[in-house]
Amino acid sequence: MSVDPHDQTRGETAPQFADSEHAPLSCNEAAALCTKAARGVGMSWGMAEEAGFAASWLVSHGIDGPTQLRSHLEQADGLEWEDLCPAVTPGAWQNAKGQAACPIILGATLCDYADLPEGPAPDCEISLGTVNSPILLVPFLSELGRKNDLSFMLCWDGGQLRIDGTETWLSAAEKSLSVAKLALTLAVDSTPCHQPCPNETPNAQTTAATVAALANFAMRTTVPATEESRAGAGSTLSDND
Amino acid sequence: MSVITPMNTPDVARFMRPAAEVMRLARMGCGHPTRLSFLRVMLRRLKCADWQIDRPVWNVDAKGVGHGVYRVRSADRSYSLVAFAHDLPPEMRSDRVIATAWDATFALFDGEPSAEDIARLAENVPYQEAGRVTSKELTLARANRSVRLFNHVVEALSEGLQPDPAEIRSVGYLMRTTAVYGSGKFGASDRSYIAERPELAAPFQVEMLTVWLIRAFTVDIVEHIAAAKGGAQAVKLAQETRRSLGVGNSTGLGMAPFIVRHPVLLNNWMMAREEALARVRAQGIADPQAVHGLTSALHCAIENAKIWQSEHPVQKGKLEELRRDLGVLEDGLGTWDWSVELPWNALWLWGAATLGLEGQEALLSLMLEPHGALIDDLANHMGADEAASFHINGAMSVAKLRDIIETDYGWALKIDFTTPENVARFWYVSEEKLEPRLGERATEEGATLEQPLCIARLISELYDTVKNYDAAKPVAALLLSHPDHRYAVRRAQIALSHPYAEVQDNLIAADMLPIDLLRCKLAFFGASQFDPRSDRWVRINLFAGAPFPDEIKEEASA
Repeated sequence: MSVDPHDQTRGETAPQFADSEHAPLSCNEAAALCTKAARGVGMSWGMAEEAGFAASWLVSHGIDGPTQLRSHLEQADGLEWEDLCPAVTPGAWQNAKGQAACPIILGATLCDYADLPEGPAPDCEISLGTVNSPILLVPFLSELGRKNDLSFMLCWDGGQLRIDGTETWLSAAEKSLSVAKLALTLAVDSTPCHQPCPNETPNAQTTAATVAALANFAMRTTVPATEESRAGAGSTLSDND
Repeated sequence: MSVITPMNTPDVARFMRPAAEVMRLARMGCGHPTRLSFLRVMLRRLKCADWQIDRPVWNVDAKGVGHGVYRVRSADRSYSLVAFAHDLPPEMRSDRVIATAWDATFALFDGEPSAEDIARLAENVPYQEAGRVTSKELTLARANRSVRLFNHVVEALSEGLQPDPAEIRSVGYLMRTTAVYGSGKFGASDRSYIAERPELAAPFQVEMLTVWLIRAFTVDIVEHIAAAKGGAQAVKLAQETRRSLGVGNSTGLGMAPFIVRHPVLLNNWMMAREEALARVRAQGIADPQAVHGLTSALHCAIENAKIWQSEHPVQKGKLEELRRDLGVLEDGLGTWDWSVELPWNALWLWGAATLGLEGQEALLSLMLEPHGALIDDLANHMGADEAASFHINGAMSVAKLRDIIETDYGWALKIDFTTPENVARFWYVSEEKLEPRLGERATEEGATLEQPLCIARLISELYDTVKNYDAAKPVAALLLSHPDHRYAVRRAQIALSHPYAEVQDNLIAADMLPIDLLRCKLAFFGASQFDPRSDRWVRINLFAGAPFPDEIKEEASA
């Protein structure tokens, strides 16, 4: 990373915070930073957009999505698609290589399969296998619940979480799913779930360390400057007129 | 949702121009501001609704350093521009987004700022990207003086004289903004939290309000400095001169990706404008008042074309063409037979056959101008709920996807991406400055880090995969086996219900001009006098000729 933390001459929104400062990111900043970071770690552009969606959805609901994404990206760095994607079969979606699933890929693919036989239809149960940063599944499940009028139950060894008509399910999810990984089973029910409202105080508190780590990944999508690129960027005429 | 607005008559649809005609770069690069442009939408609202505008704080010293607050209030809500005036040494003045200091910096505050808010902003706003704002702020902006005109105006006013009209005309503004950030940038409020407010529902309304209040500031600061210098003999700007001044703006490549990255928004802007034209063309008769309005608008356009300057060879050619076309239009209108059936459509068809692209797009703007009652409601459909079209329909069959590509992206499939001139450029983000740039593939490093902005090529690659894929399978399966196509699949599904979503040209071709993308967007803002400073950098003027805060109410009641 070649950006000096005190450099004032940066062109895009990539917030800088120092030490252990709290870092309040807008949803837009969280989405932009997380999209670029996910791309930097190797997600396709379209999937990286899903990462941006998930992180900013959590931010808009007062949950530190960027830190959860960072945790996953650190695990996923250097892995191939085959190591991270689900093998979609009726009732069992575990990764074919037995690796922990990427919550972004899993969440987006659950939505892709929402109306297909192998997908999360009412009264079905799908074994998801181990999932990194499982809180990142929540934005996808909430969206799926809204679209298809569904409720969900996530079960793991020693616990479970219902995403249902209860107004408090999101805070329960934040407590139980904000962990590094869980082996999960997803059960689907045909009753509508409660749609949590975006937070009144929008900017989520994430940490300077998370912002720095994500910015580090994001910088991998950028191209080092050359004299040629610098020369072509601006006007060829003076601005002091 | 896309804007399929209720048509006034069943006939309107047949007057819509097809996307294949409208969404070409050469035509988009000839866009003119219209009455649906965002600054016009904002001014109409300020004129009509009960908004009070004042300047409760002006704390600026004799050198012109300090701060002021401009306040816009209604019964329910207020917005305040907090303006910081600085003393900038000439060697630090740059329009590049990467500059580090400016003549003036601004934030639009949501409400009325307390002394603590202003103190907090004073520690952040002057540093722009290196500072932070909060969800109480809606925009962050900065501006530099047009040194030549600013100094001339200070000198003249301080000596009790009005500035030279030729100098005023040749520049057109006292300051130009070099960035106006909204939508959650640098910690500011996300658009989603304010988009429901009626006064902010149309696109870029907080940005337009910011720039309009900055315009008032540019005159206040020049008069303040002149008064400090000249004492009792100093005068204020003549009202007519003041009115002619806008705010300059300098825009580089950074704006170009926006147009490509927001297909639903682009569709809604274009669709509103095209439906407006179609409604005008569909009228059975010509109202004499509207004909008179057209003539007045044409005279303003001719005047504007006279003072519109550019040194850029492409724009110089376009300006010659525009001036000629406006002359042809003036001659044509002199003897126009308005008694024919569908007279506005006849005029449009005559223009399309007679005028160049600059002239045709100018004619579009002129034809909309006298038809406010017929078309102004379309401004309510120019925003976009982008989240609604984000999710992919995985149940769609690959056959259907293939059909969309063949139907809606035929233009893209025709481009041969194996020839060097068709892949000559690549869009990237510079590591050093984090700004979007355009590289030459043959000679520059970094093409492996290309940004996904050449939609034509991405769709073309998707089509190559789709052609050989089991057509009966769902898109979900395609994406599981080919995750790299997710971005292009989303685009294609959006295009299905948004006909004007795509710029139908090759955005990495050797001869592609980024200024065409910039001009299209800036025309929707309401910019005029486009002056390219290179093929990827353009200066414009905003609000020239528009009322000032102390004039807007009089005009509403007039």
